[in-house]
Order: sequence, then structure tokens, then C-alpha cells
Amino acid sequence: MSYPRVVVLFSIAISIIFFAISTMLYSRSSLSDQNSSKVETVGGHTPGYPILKTTGDILDPTSSVINPKNAVVDPMKYLREFNYGRVSTSSNGTVIRDFTLIASDQQIKEVSPGVFYNVWTFNGTIPGPTIRATEGDLIRITLINHGTKFHSIHFHGIHPSEMDGVFEGIAPGGRFTYEFTAEPFGVFLYHCHMQPLEEHITHGLYGVYIVDPKQGRPPADEMVMLMNGYDTDFDTENNFYTVNGIPFYYMHHPIQIEKNRLIRIYLVNMLEFDPLNNFHLHANLFNFYKTGTKLIPDEYTDIVTMNQAERGILEFSYKYPGKYMFHAHKTEFAEKGWTGLFLVKDDTNKSANQNLNVTSARNNISYSASNFSNATNNLGYSAPNFSNASNILPTGGLK
Amino acid sequence: MMEREESNIANTYRISKRTILFGIVPIIVIGAMIIFLLNSPGILFQSSVKPLPKISFEKVEFSDDGILAFVRNTGPSNTTIAQADVNDRIHPAAIEPSRMLTRLADAKVIIPFVWNIGEPYKIGITTDDGTRFEKTVNSAAPAPRPTVGQASSFAIIGTYVGIIPVMMGLIWYPFIRRLSPNKYNFFLSLTAGLLVFLGIDALLESNEIAVNSLASVFNAQILIIMVAIVTLITLMYVSQRLIQRASKRSNSELEYKARYLSHSEPDSGLSDIRSSSSSSSQQQLLIRPIAISMMIAIGIGLHNFGEGLAVGAAVLLGEVALSSFLILGFTLHNTTEGLAIVAPMAKSRRIPVTKLMIMGLIAGGPTIIGAWIGGFLYSPIATVIFLSIGAGAIFQVVYSIGSWMYHTNGSRGLLNNHWVIIGFAFGMLIMYLTGLLV
Repeated sequence: MSYPRVVVLFSIAISIIFFAISTMLYSRSSLSDQNSSKVETVGGHTPGYPILKTTGDILDPTSSVINPKNAVVDPMKYLREFNYGRVSTSSNGTVIRDFTLIASDQQIKEVSPGVFYNVWTFNGTIPGPTIRATEGDLIRITLINHGTKFHSIHFHGIHPSEMDGVFEGIAPGGRFTYEFTAEPFGVFLYHCHMQPLEEHITHGLYGVYIVDPKQGRPPADEMVMLMNGYDTDFDTENNFYTVNGIPFYYMHHPIQIEKNRLIRIYLVNMLEFDPLNNFHLHANLFNFYKTGTKLIPDEYTDIVTMNQAERGILEFSYKYPGKYMFHAHKTEFAEKGWTGLFLVKDDTNKSANQNLNVTSARNNISYSASNFSNATNNLGYSAPNFSNASNILPTGGLK
Repeated sequence: MMEREESNIANTYRISKRTILFGIVPIIVIGAMIIFLLNSPGILFQSSVKPLPKISFEKVEFSDDGILAFVRNTGPSNTTIAQADVNDRIHPAAIEPSRMLTRLADAKVIIPFVWNIGEPYKIGITTDDGTRFEKTVNSAAPAPRPTVGQASSFAIIGTYVGIIPVMMGLIWYPFIRRLSPNKYNFFLSLTAGLLVFLGIDALLESNEIAVNSLASVFNAQILIIMVAIVTLITLMYVSQRLIQRASKRSNSELEYKARYLSHSEPDSGLSDIRSSSSSSSQQQLLIRPIAISMMIAIGIGLHNFGEGLAVGAAVLLGEVALSSFLILGFTLHNTTEGLAIVAPMAKSRRIPVTKLMIMGLIAGGPTIIGAWIGGFLYSPIATVIFLSIGAGAIFQVVYSIGSWMYHTNGSRGLLNNHWVIIGFAFGMLIMYLTGLLV
């Protein structure tokens, strides 16, 4: 009887099969482990977490930077970029501001490090450019549709029915000029209003629209913050939450501000799918002007909660230098990208002169609304100039 | 023997160069077609829609370093991993060897994370197109490390779950030896019932793993059937050869022994067969019981190997809290396996205790090996394959028992005997009821 032989044969067969399978499944990783030489660490920036060394790749959207070539937006540029349009004056003295927005829906851009998404944009970015005017100005926005679908622009604010951008879509290849008076003053938004509305909004066709009061607001370091999300796998739940377009961006690129300087944030919530969103400021409180339509604050608080399309103005200044977080106090959103940092710098001794310059320049930029009709003829006030000025000034002052 | 056959074929059908050419031409044409399709400008067949990626989780482990997820690109094309998350909250992570995964390539994602024992976790992976894939772990538990302590702990579990119950079942040997033919038939068919239950159980379990842990790209469900059928027919061949060889070798010896035994044991149920053992088929009947028992032991061994894999993996995946109650359940469940081994040979020659012990070890021992492999090197596809081999082996054993009973029952027929039917049903019922404890 050769039972033992059968048993031996069987065990050999079993081991051959098993090792063949396991080597097939695991050979790749072990081979690559031996070959690579670079070693990186991960996990270091969470207190109490294990710090690991790896020879592989790091997956860390909280500290990786997107190649600007692919990025859906440059959040640092967007932050302080206000577009005043091509300015002219009508015969009756009204300031006319001409803007051009180009809608597209075919681009694939990086919305979070390593994540590419079909974005639908105004002028190539999410959020679209911030449009800014003074109460009473005549606004003319030409929408050129470079997309493959019908698009429109629906502005919040007061305007005639035919300028509402709801019933008349602009066909692919077409163009249309929306024309209305900027009223009332406040923080508004604009977005595409074609059906299916949710699809057009969640893909990124929106932006901020600011109307300044005629008398202006007190001088401040001004910035725009638009809260949004991306549903990259189309399950009607957001995979990413951001402020100004890229998750965690201001965590690795803190917003530099000056100690004791008034900060003004135009905050707009464009988050789709989730019923609410909010903004919480660390170690500080702010005056909140709901919708920005009054000059007296509605609330002195450290958190404001908004539904989609709700917005307001936040004003605050930091007493102490250092790093301060701001984020959605819906922690899920915070942990999926809607988190940022302010870096408050104490530079009163170092560059007092520069500070003076900054302040005066800033006044020109933000508060000379009533002088625009004079200034525009000379300067032209094209958007890029403004963005450069507003980007350079605060950092220049802080050095 | 194979060589002789081949040389015969070579002589009868001489393979000329022309024959080779005719054989190769279609392969060359297929090769050319493949080269053309791979290098064509892509206008012909390329779809404008990018195929959706697919990432499968094969294993999630919890350790002091955080959470380890073993993932595989089971989608139709190469893909890149963009980020990892825990409970749908983005966390920094490392991926080895690379975030770029070619088709069917695998990677280890390490997420530094302070996790809590016993809590459920959802581990997520997002690919470069923003698609998120998720794996739920019902209860986080530290992954067993291949230390001596852990290995011996698995060995103890395996002994309790595999070896001890099977050995206890073997103690029924003397009892079964003394049964009348009808009751013996009852126990044989009870054994068949037990085994059919185990076989179906193995198929269902492997199907569950195939569905939950293996991507559809592996076609694991068809693999189960394939492996089970191939195992079944291979073992049929092996057992046939085993019986042939054994009968050939001990032909004369057995004839003598059979005559001798028929006088000394007149009450034996098979005495009539033995006394008239002159034809070769009847000789086979004599040897078959032991061969069947050995095949049952091997089949159950394979089954228990799969069971060990499952136990080890369950410990690894934190799905099982090993309690004495669970061990008790396994013990009751597996004791019947020992019965299955002894039943067929109860009416043959007396089997030495050492041989019984060896059979018990063959049947129960693989549980330990399975637990080691399942706990330390868990691989769902290997588990599926082993469970399928076990199922195939068990069905072969059922076939052997069936044909053995058919022959020994002679003209009465197999399904004509109500003891056979009751035994079969009762066997499955026992397994079902003891299975409720596990």
C-alpha cells in the first residue's frame, strides 16, 4: 500500500500551488522594495501619530502641492484678486464695467493633489473670477460659450427678468451680454442656471460678485473665500471640501496677515449636496455682516453657518502673532479639505515704512470706489494689475 | 508507461515538418493579429470613454504603525492612487512600492493612524479620477505577528478545532465494527451526508470569499467550480490507480488472508464476499474500504486546511473573538469527521491504532497549517482555491462511498434501502445543527 506516497504527493502539490499563488501575488511588491532607494516619512504632522519611513510614494493631499499647470485654480492668487472690469464712463457719468467670461466644460484639471476631474469653468478656474463693482455702476458681462452644452450666468442682486440668466441659455459657440446696474451693495454670487442645475453647479460654474457701497468700507486687508466641494465619483456626495478651490491648500500655504490689521473676508458658500457649511475662526471672533447689505454687523461670533448661496462679510484682526486655523466646524468637511491657516506676523518694528506704503496703496485699491471714474481713464484698471498689486502688497509689507 | 504510449503514437503518426507547419500557421496569424491590434493607431477600436478604474482590497491589517491596506488594481487599465482615507476622512499615507498601479498590480497602503481595538473602520482609496473605493472592517484587531507565541497559539487552536475532534470521532471505530449490515449502511450513508454537507459548505464559503474579497476580474466563482471538478476527477484517477496497484501487488497474499479470515470471523458482514474472493473485482472490494478511508482522511484534511485558513484569517481580520463556546462548536462539528473516516473500513481487516492515528492526523493536522497560513499570509485567492480543492476532494469521497455501498449491497440497490436514505439525511442534519454552534 502506498498511502504515504499519496500523502507526500498531495502535500507537495498543495505547497507548489500555494507558493506559486503567493509568489505570483506578492513578488511585485517585494521586488520593488529591494530596488528603490529613496526613503520618505509620513504621518509626522499629526501629534501622537506614528511616523513612518517608506520607500514607496507618499499620498498626502494635506501637504502636497499641485503642479500649477494642472491646478484648477491658484488659491493664493484667487484670494486677493478682485476684477473691476474694463472701465469706461457713459455720457451721463455712470461708470460702465465690461467683463468677459468664457464658459467651458471639457477641461480635466487637478482639484486635489493627484485627483483629476472634468471641471466646468468660467475663465478656466473654480471658483470663477471675482467680479467687483460699486453700487450704481453699469455692469456688462459678455458670456462666450466655448463649451459643448448650453450655459448661462445667473447673478444674484437686482436686475430685469431678461438679465436673470435662467430662461435663455447660451448655445455652444454663442455669446450674450448681460447688462444691469450693480445694486444693492453687498456680497453676491453668480452661477450657471442651466438644467440640470445641480450638475452645472457642482462641476464648478460659479463665482463671487461684490458690490461696494458708494461710501466704501474702512481700509482692510481684503480677501475672498468661496466654500465649495467636489463630487468626483458622482454619488451625490462630496469627496472633497475646499475653500477657494483646492483642499488643504492654505494648510501648506498659510495666508500671511499682519498683527492688529483689519482683515475683511467676503465669504460665499457654494457647496452642493450638503445642506450646510460653516466657517470657524480660531483664537478670535469676527464681526459678521450677513449678505453684506448693511454697514452694521449682525453678530460678533467665531462661527457662521450657511446654506448654499448664503454669504456674508467677516471683519476681524489678530491680537497675537502665530499660526491660527480656520475651517468648517462640520469636522467631516474640515477633514476632507476645508481647513486653512492664517500666519499672523508681528512686524511693527521691522518695516514700518513699508507698512505705510501698503496701507496707502491698499486704500487706493479697495476704497477708492468713488474715484474710479477718474482713475480708470488713466489706469485702465485691468484685473491683472489689480491682482498683482494686491498680491504683492501685503507680503511686501510683511517682509 | 507514458513513454511507451508516446513512442507508440510517434510510430503510428509520424510528425513531418509539414504537419508542424500546419500546426504553427494559425498561431502565427493570431500573433500578427495581436501585434496589429496593439499597434494600430487606435481609430478603429478605441472608445472615447475612459474605462472606469477598479481597486480591490485584499486585506486590511491593524498594527502599531497604523492601518495597512493591501490593494490591487483590478480595473481594465493602469491607474494611479491619489489618496487614502479612514472612515471617509482624508489622512496622509504611504503607498509601496508605487502609487502607479499597472493592471492587476498590487500595493501596500500604510496609513499612520491611532485606531481603537474593536471598533469598525472603513478604509478608502481614491484613484486619480476621483473614484473612491472602500473596505469595511467590522472590528479592528491587532494583526497576528509571526512569532513563536502566536504560531503556537494558532497550533493550539488548530489542535482543538481539527485534531482532537477527528481523533474523538475515530474512537467510534470498534462500535461501528460491531454493527449489523443495515445499521452499518446507515452509518456509511450518514458519513456521505456529512461529507456532502461539508462539500457544499466549502463551495458556499469559497463563493462568499470570491464575492467579497476578490475582484470580478479573477472570475473566482468559475475558478471554484473548475478547481473542484479537476480535483474530483484527478482524485478519482488517483484512487483508481491506488486500488489497482495495491490489488496487483498483494493479490496472492490477500487471497490467502481472505480465506483464513473467513474462518476465524464468521459473523463479519463481508464474510461471504471474502470467502469467495477469487475474481479481481472482489479483491478490489477488500482493499477499497481502507483506500476510501484514506481518501476521506485526505479530503477532510483539505477541508480542514481550508477551515484553518478561515479561522486564521478571521483572527487576522478581527472578525472572530475565539471563545470556548466557538471551540466547542467546532469540536462537535468536526467530531463527525472522525466518524466519516472509520465508517468505510469498519468491516474490513482490523486497522492498527497507529494507522488510525495517522489518518486522524492527515485529516485534522492541516487545520494548524491552515491557521498559520491564514493568520500570517492570508490571501483570498489561495483560500478560495484550497476550499475548492477540499470540496472536490470531498465529492470524490462521496462518490467512492456511494459506489462502494452500491457494490456491497449487491442486488438490493442503494436507494431501495430506507436506512441509507435516513442515514444520509441524518448526516446532513447533524452537520447543520452542530454548524449552528460555530
